[in-house]
Amino acid sequence: MSSILIATISMGGLAAFFAVMLSIVHERFKVEEDPRVEEILSCLPGVNCGACGFASCRSLAEAIVKGEAAVNSCVAGGGSVAEKISRIMGVESGSVKKKVAFVRCGATLSERSKKATYQGVNTCRAANILMGADTACLYGCLGFGDCEEACLFDAIKMVDGLPRIDLSKCTGCGRCVEVCPRGIIVLDSFENTNYRVKCSSLDRGKKARQVCTKSCIACRRCEKSCPYEACWVEDNLAHIDPRNCQLCGICSMVCPTGAIVKVE
Amino acid sequence: MARIILILLGAVLVNNFVLRYFLGICPFLGVTGRVSSAIAMGFSVTFVMTLTAAIVWPINHFIIQGLHLPFLEYVSDILVIASLVQIIEMFVRKTSPALYRALGIYLPLITTNCSILFLALFIPLRKYSFLDSIVFGFGAGIGFTFVMLMMSAIREELDFAEVPKSLRGAPITLITAGLLALVFMGFTGLLGSA
Repeated sequence: MSSILIATISMGGLAAFFAVMLSIVHERFKVEEDPRVEEILSCLPGVNCGACGFASCRSLAEAIVKGEAAVNSCVAGGGSVAEKISRIMGVESGSVKKKVAFVRCGATLSERSKKATYQGVNTCRAANILMGADTACLYGCLGFGDCEEACLFDAIKMVDGLPRIDLSKCTGCGRCVEVCPRGIIVLDSFENTNYRVKCSSLDRGKKARQVCTKSCIACRRCEKSCPYEACWVEDNLAHIDPRNCQLCGICSMVCPTGAIVKVE
Repeated sequence: MARIILILLGAVLVNNFVLRYFLGICPFLGVTGRVSSAIAMGFSVTFVMTLTAAIVWPINHFIIQGLHLPFLEYVSDILVIASLVQIIEMFVRKTSPALYRALGIYLPLITTNCSILFLALFIPLRKYSFLDSIVFGFGAGIGFTFVMLMMSAIREELDFAEVPKSLRGAPITLITAGLLALVFMGFTGLLGSA
């Protein structure tokens, strides 16, 4: 009995001694960490998926506090998490422009011409390796829906051979951008203007018209008619400078193929 | 004095914990990718070992043996080691966040580093005096640092060497470790039984 007592007391005493030592050292070497890091960390999903581009949820939280990452960087968490974090950071979540995916091709299945019959693997990546499979256009959408499959948020639906993006569901994670072998999907914040060139073709006008009825044919009508010098044609493709655009919509009206659209 | 030097040399070279007793292999292979982090790890372990030796000796002498509680030796040793590692972790985190990140999981893992428990169990076995055991702990730490430094320097060079494809990565590291251990076998018996 007494040996149990002695053992308990001696070990308890030792433990208490080390506990006191530890707490003293803890006070002495306290790391001044921004309390917001812990708060943000508790909002994040904590699965360390890495979709934000940081190694862990903690490193994202630290980057947000430092201002190196946007409050809506967490892809997996989506809107609700972004809102919580923006409240912690004191940033209005409304002032944070969300980026969404935009498809730079507007030709549905019937509008693009076929050059062959394709019976291979039904993915865009496989088709792209085979010189674009049956799609005559070398730049446009292949229509097999790799992006639809890649989307974790059910925001992409293939409609008539073309991905349709549900802007309310799109989180701007960029998985579709990565997976598209032709690089026609871009992340866009739609700042200032929502007029966009819905084509990626760098073909000359004649060739572009041969393969597709919706492509930009580099006719420069938009460039000539834009009163604000916001449109220009480069490498046989029209571009719109969002800084100059005044939303008049003339470019969209004069475009003979309807390649310039207003994104709602 | 000669005894102290003998104990020191014995711990550093002849009975090197890593290459003679194969203790602490985990950080030996895990943190030796870069010289800077290997040295930092080595000094962290040296610090923990020296302090462990200094604290374990009185605990062992006065509590374990004084009160006849030999069955509590492991418990008290682990208590000491865990507390020391916690202290050094807080210290490193405060003084060098970069080092804290570089050491990563290996820093808290010093707690479970077998070389330190071995040291704590070895001291009463050898019947060292208080000063002897501190020197022994310090020497063991220096020996660990020394081996970590050698290994990391070799591994940094290995990055530029033409290693056969099948041996790249872990295999060549293990071969290097084995060759180093062979080299250290050359010290066997150098200092008699020390």
